Amino acid sequence: MTPAHPEGVTLDDYVDDALTATERAAVEAHLAECADCRELVADLRGVLAAVSTLEPVQPPRTSWTRIEQTIRRGSAERRTPRWPWLAAAAALILATFTGLKLAGVWQQRPASGLTALAPATDAQAVEAELLQAEQHYQNAISGLERIASAEKGSLDPQTASTLEKNLAVVDQAIGESRAALKSQPGSEPAQQSLLENFKTKIALLQDTVALINEMRKGNDASASRLVTGLKQKGT
Amino acid sequence: MRIRLSRLLIALLAVGVAAPASAQASIGEARRAAGQAYRRSMSEARELYQGRRGPEQADTFSRKVRVGRDGRVSISNISGTITVAVASGDEVSIDAVKRSRGDRGQLSRVNIIVEEHPGRVDVRTEYGRPPFPDRLFRDDYVSVDYTVVVPAGVSLDVSSVSGHIKVDGVRGSIRFGSVSGNITSSNTPKVEYLRTVSGEVALANISQDGSLSISSVSGNIDLTDVRARALDLNTVSGEIRLRDAAVERLTSKGLAGNFEYTGTLARNGRYEVNSHSGSVRFAIADSPGFELNAGSFSGAVRSDFRMTVGGDGTRDIRPRRGPRSESLRASFGDGSALLNVRTFSGSISILRK
Amino acid sequence: MTVNRPDGSAGDLVARCQAGDVDAFAELYQHHAGRIFALTSRMSGSPDAGEDLLQEVFLQAHRKIRGFKGDSTIGTWLYRLAINHCLDFVRSRQARMDKVTNSIDDDMTPPAAGRDTPIERIDLERAIRQLPAGCRAAFVLHDVEGYEHREIAEMLGIAEGTSKSQVFKARLKLRAVLA
Repeated sequence: MTPAHPEGVTLDDYVDDALTATERAAVEAHLAECADCRELVADLRGVLAAVSTLEPVQPPRTSWTRIEQTIRRGSAERRTPRWPWLAAAAALILATFTGLKLAGVWQQRPASGLTALAPATDAQAVEAELLQAEQHYQNAISGLERIASAEKGSLDPQTASTLEKNLAVVDQAIGESRAALKSQPGSEPAQQSLLENFKTKIALLQDTVALINEMRKGNDASASRLVTGLKQKGT
Repeated sequence: MRIRLSRLLIALLAVGVAAPASAQASIGEARRAAGQAYRRSMSEARELYQGRRGPEQADTFSRKVRVGRDGRVSISNISGTITVAVASGDEVSIDAVKRSRGDRGQLSRVNIIVEEHPGRVDVRTEYGRPPFPDRLFRDDYVSVDYTVVVPAGVSLDVSSVSGHIKVDGVRGSIRFGSVSGNITSSNTPKVEYLRTVSGEVALANISQDGSLSISSVSGNIDLTDVRARALDLNTVSGEIRLRDAAVERLTSKGLAGNFEYTGTLARNGRYEVNSHSGSVRFAIADSPGFELNAGSFSGAVRSDFRMTVGGDGTRDIRPRRGPRSESLRASFGDGSALLNVRTFSGSISILRK
Repeated sequence: MTVNRPDGSAGDLVARCQAGDVDAFAELYQHHAGRIFALTSRMSGSPDAGEDLLQEVFLQAHRKIRGFKGDSTIGTWLYRLAINHCLDFVRSRQARMDKVTNSIDDDMTPPAAGRDTPIERIDLERAIRQLPAGCRAAFVLHDVEGYEHREIAEMLGIAEGTSKSQVFKARLKLRAVLA
């Protein structure tokens, strides 16, 4: 009488050499008489053999780049506290130009050095570089601000009012950060907050301009679709 | 109708606060200012006119479309509510009520467009261009309220300008957009994107294996029962409140609103929260460990968990008296999760739930 | 250039990493990323998620390397971090699936499954990634990484018997692909 087929997991254990001597003998006795189970065992062994040929898999090149960027940002923070905000200022300025180009406002870059931001060595130099970054920022946003204020009539009054109020909130935050930086030029939280607030203001202006543009076209439906699909925040 | 020049100037100033002081008014700017004043006075006129509206006129619309159990549905509206619910089957049923407080002519200028494609249906409200001067009064004069019932498995794209949106039970991926409309959803595990200006956002029962990205200007963001691999939040003045949250990767950027996370930290999670004046608060159930990098210009930092600072023994983290600029690096437990919190003046609190 | 011993524990390399040398960390990455990425992409079932996990692992490693005391080789230490991340990934995904009752894609194979018509060169990696999430983790841990069922049961929070049946299920599916 042929014994009943062993359970699948038992055959698995058999293939994995995880059975006691008695259990193994019982399975082998069954295999001697059952072609189906023999085939299954062979297949299971085949799977294991194939798996044993697996090798490490090289990740895409971009993986390391992203890790490196995050690490270098972090190390820089610990070594030279003033460096990251300068790098961030440069990134901010770049983002602004891109944003303005998208809004069709500003076609050319200003002449003065974007790339020439060297790490500062003393408080005065830091302040001088901060001033330079601020000037770039001012030039960049005044174009956006002109559009936003002139064309706000295209938006319904409540939305226009919300956007104005929030721009004022951001401006107040910028004022606070500036004052803080004046009193403590070396303060990392103050530096970072100023730059974050600049970024927020630019993003808010960009979004306002984009919304205005859509409303001006007279098609409110596409404005809401714009809100759905818009993902301008580059960072 | 007097031109309210003072209000206009205040509006311009509010926006131009940070602009260079040397900005001179030019003829072009004066012209633009006048144009804006004209539009303002027209909108005031409209507000007055609306007080004298007639009885409500309504028109109904009904359509059923077959899309299949996992089809795609998009709904785009301007004014009026959108309500989406689920039912079994593979049909989408669209019911809409057009309402107007003017004459019936207004109703007929608003069209409900339903575009059918294999496996997809797009629904939208379109306003025909009304004749001048009505053009200036066109906006919320006619509203369309949609009730749409869909198969549970569809993916959904819903947007509205000023109308409120409510979705329940849709299990496919969902994208939301509004300008001022509120957005509410429940039993919607796969919300992946939401953007609004001033709408209030209240989402419940999120279970997102991928990422969820939410952005508002002033609207508050309230998420309850939210599980996500990655959550990205962005607001200027909205409050952010996450309750019963289990998020593995979180980035949150706010300015004036408070941030609150109540829930659990993932063992190897990463949480980056930025705020200017809003406070940041984590209320977490016991955690195997986290590393806290907290930086604030003037906000106080506190932790209910006894933390190890810089390899020395554990100590309490409590707000220090006197002038402070906090920059703290401390760890609790095995330090496996990472909390990076940066504020300007907002307080930072890590509390035990 | 340091001599790196085959077991991955280049003492000098680790010391340089601990001192904050980013180039040294890059070297460490070069040595171990292949093995880690293989693990993370197989456990998660997608190269994208695998890449994401790989980055998380190395970012965390960078953060914690100063705490590495040499109890094991650096390779083993990295590997354990990776296993932890993979388990978190698998467990939280499972927790999310459990929460969503009548989930329409309960045991559904990922969208790419439609492409598993037999092809001349068997892409075993892809076949493993296409395994249903439940049995894939147990299979990778047992057949690829060599853990015992007892250990897997603990790691995944399941019964030992469940681990065995999951592995068997996975083997059967792969058997069909390799046939």
